[in-house]
Amino acid sequence: MVIIMKTNIAVFFGCRSVEHEVSIISAVQAMRAVDRGKYDVTPVYVTKDGEMYTGDALFTIENYRDLPALLRECEPVLFARRDGGVWMIYENNRVFSKKKPVKTDIAFPIVHGTNCEDGTAAGYFEYLGLPYIGCDILSSAVGMDKAVFKDVLKSAGLPVLDCVVFRARDYSDNRDAVISEISEKIGFPLIIKPVNLGSSVGITKVNSADDLDVAIALAASFTGRILAERAVTSLREINCSVLGDADRCEASVCEEPFMHDEILSYEDKYLSNSKGGASKGMASLGRRIPADLSKEKSEEIKKLACDVFRAVGASGVVRIDFLMDTETGKVYANEINTIPGSLAFYLWEASGLKYTDMIDRLADIAFKRQRERENLTFTIDTNILSGVSFGAKGAKGAKL
Amino acid sequence: MNTVLLISLIAAAFSAFFALVRQFQMLQQNSYYPSRYFLWVKDGYSLPLCIECIAFCASSLLWGQELYALQLAFIAAVLAARIFSAVRVQKKSIKKLVFTGRIKRMFAAAFMLFAVLILLYVFFPRTLAGEIFAVTAFMLSFVSPLTAVLCRAVTAPVEKAVSLWYINDAKRILKGHKDLIVIGITGSYGKTSTKFILSRILSEKYNVVATPQSFNTPMGVVRTIREKLQPQTRIFICEMGAKNTGDIREICDIVHPKYGIITSVGPQHLETFKTIDNVFKTKFELADEVLKNGGTVFVNGDSTELIKRIDRSLYRIYGTGADFDFRAENIAYGKNGSEFTAVMESESIPVSSKLLGLHSIINITGAAALAYTLGVEARDIKFAAAALKPAEHRLELKPYINGSVLIDDAYNANPEGCIEAVRVLASFEGMKKVIITPGLVELGEREYECNFALGVEAAKKCDIIILVGKNRSKPLREGAESVGFDKEKLFAVSSFAEASRLYSGFADRNTAVLFENDLPDNYLN
Repeated sequence: MVIIMKTNIAVFFGCRSVEHEVSIISAVQAMRAVDRGKYDVTPVYVTKDGEMYTGDALFTIENYRDLPALLRECEPVLFARRDGGVWMIYENNRVFSKKKPVKTDIAFPIVHGTNCEDGTAAGYFEYLGLPYIGCDILSSAVGMDKAVFKDVLKSAGLPVLDCVVFRARDYSDNRDAVISEISEKIGFPLIIKPVNLGSSVGITKVNSADDLDVAIALAASFTGRILAERAVTSLREINCSVLGDADRCEASVCEEPFMHDEILSYEDKYLSNSKGGASKGMASLGRRIPADLSKEKSEEIKKLACDVFRAVGASGVVRIDFLMDTETGKVYANEINTIPGSLAFYLWEASGLKYTDMIDRLADIAFKRQRERENLTFTIDTNILSGVSFGAKGAKGAKL
Repeated sequence: MNTVLLISLIAAAFSAFFALVRQFQMLQQNSYYPSRYFLWVKDGYSLPLCIECIAFCASSLLWGQELYALQLAFIAAVLAARIFSAVRVQKKSIKKLVFTGRIKRMFAAAFMLFAVLILLYVFFPRTLAGEIFAVTAFMLSFVSPLTAVLCRAVTAPVEKAVSLWYINDAKRILKGHKDLIVIGITGSYGKTSTKFILSRILSEKYNVVATPQSFNTPMGVVRTIREKLQPQTRIFICEMGAKNTGDIREICDIVHPKYGIITSVGPQHLETFKTIDNVFKTKFELADEVLKNGGTVFVNGDSTELIKRIDRSLYRIYGTGADFDFRAENIAYGKNGSEFTAVMESESIPVSSKLLGLHSIINITGAAALAYTLGVEARDIKFAAAALKPAEHRLELKPYINGSVLIDDAYNANPEGCIEAVRVLASFEGMKKVIITPGLVELGEREYECNFALGVEAAKKCDIIILVGKNRSKPLREGAESVGFDKEKLFAVSSFAEASRLYSGFADRNTAVLFENDLPDNYLN
């Protein structure tokens, strides 16, 4: 009997993150889009406690309404490296119905926010030696920290808005000094945000020094480091997705999200359409695709998006959010989402690439990175210690 | 029942086990072909074999005499000698005995063989049959090549069933890979290097699995398929080795390649092939299969024995010829390796590589031709070629004793390749040039001529020649001396260990040494 060989793709989602639910929505969408003729999908749901579960019930979004019931239908698992591969091992081995370990070929992290998207997940897969889709540790970490992101872009000569970074402690200890620094260097109106969160959580627009306390207290409830940056008064937000790796990448069409408020809020992004049942995530947010831009402007942003992608050293699919000053026409890179909501698939479908094919491309890119690493030397096959005499006899060799 | 005889029988059986270690090792290295194995027995084993036969005769003299103490002492000495030599040989061998399933089954067969004979003696001690069994047991334990072949024969049906199951399993796995592209590589010389290069270049675009090291037999290929192929593998590169006509066909029947590269046809393994025409026919079993599958075959136009035998319109030709489909032009060597232009149909790719020697450039050109055909872009080919590392022991540049430079060409068994290696050594201008080699083997009637020519070339280009294997290297010595090489600077030693001791005595930062053709120990006598 011929069994078609399929690549086993483990989709990791959930995680100990404020964007836990968003991740579930993105992951369920993605798992539905995977080409089942070519891939076997193993869902790996990471609970808010960081425990890993797998099971077929995880494919259906409705099941997530009652998490304890869902987990009862699932099996706790762990991952380990054996015989040159990575295996998913079932924790509960019943005497009857013993479940065999499952060989995992590639990891597909669809996780948002801290403790995962920030390079933590990438580090876990690197440690296991498992090929994985998306940014590596460094680019994920750079993407997660808005201050470092700006520094990296600045040194690459790419346009970013000026900012001041300070710790919540500094503000508490030397409030006046911080306020005067912000006022001098940035001026009002300005934006206060935590350095390391996505999805617009904890972001406030501040018009005068009087409002700083509230805004900074909000940001400080999410992170220890806070960023103040100039608010562009006549603003358009333009997003653009990039797909590929440092070697070959391309940009999608641009989008312009509609802003209910002055800043696109968490509610706008993920909750606005969820009243009538299951949320459809980023894909359902009010937006204009493609954004209403001149051909030149849109090409400029696409090129800029690719430059940002390369400067960060990203891989896979990312979404880069730009701020456009409508008065000057200048465009600034605002942030990069290394694992964007809904994986920005709606931008790629609008660019003529089906979600299914996009995931196929993502897997190719991940395997390519793995090959590039294998082509470099990380370990020497021979055991250097095998030829060393330890101590005694006045050996010149190893001194341990 | 004679207790002393029984004890000595059991001791003899044990000694046979230890003797089998060496025999099985050689049988394994000769791919379990009794004919090739006996070539080794005949060639290099005559002295130990004589001693064995004498021991057997001596033991039969003791037979039936009531010299119990002598008999026990004798068998104890034999057992001790066998254990000692088995352990020593395993420690010193370059290519050790690998305890595969097959070898284990052969040991099991040997165990059962002796158990049966001994039991028969125990149950029928006084009959003629009992005596015959005892004699047979003794004979088998002393004349170990015979035992080895007997064990192989006994296990042959089992092995056949086992390998058939494995082959079918591999075929099933291949059928499950819908999009897999299979590439076959064969040739008298250069197939392993070309495989490595192709694998590296293709990995710029595809997930590639290639048969490792010298897994170029049907079972090696089957093992690679079963152990290494991943669901995401897009390309399987299969090196196909041959020592007899039909060998390549056998591998093709398992993997059905869509693309093929034939790197060369030359006087390799003439001991079994007899003529170059047979070599050619065997290598082109791959071409026939690929064309049958509607694929493309790339052949090395620089291999003269190859190009003169083919209809060029059927194949894509690569190499250095100006009218070839894919060619290397403007070849130049420098301190850091080689540089050339790879002309791929309409595109020219500037290539620089750390690989040394003209054959490497031709191999890169062939691999690039196929990769280009499979859609790898020019800039990727250029990048991959620059990143190529020499295959292990193939003109590999390494630091060596006392800061000297080693050109490790230990896996080269090709006469033209050896001459080229000496030329590469010669390009290290201003340095003291040393060659350490046992010479070439398995070349049939050309063996003397090729070794003589290598001796002549070495004499012209080298300052010091160290020959390994005093008898085997005679033709080389004669070649070197025929052009008046200083006898004081030519050394013949009996092992590599000795050669390297000698070398370390004069090596310094200004010395370059070439290791040419170091073979597994079945040739080093």
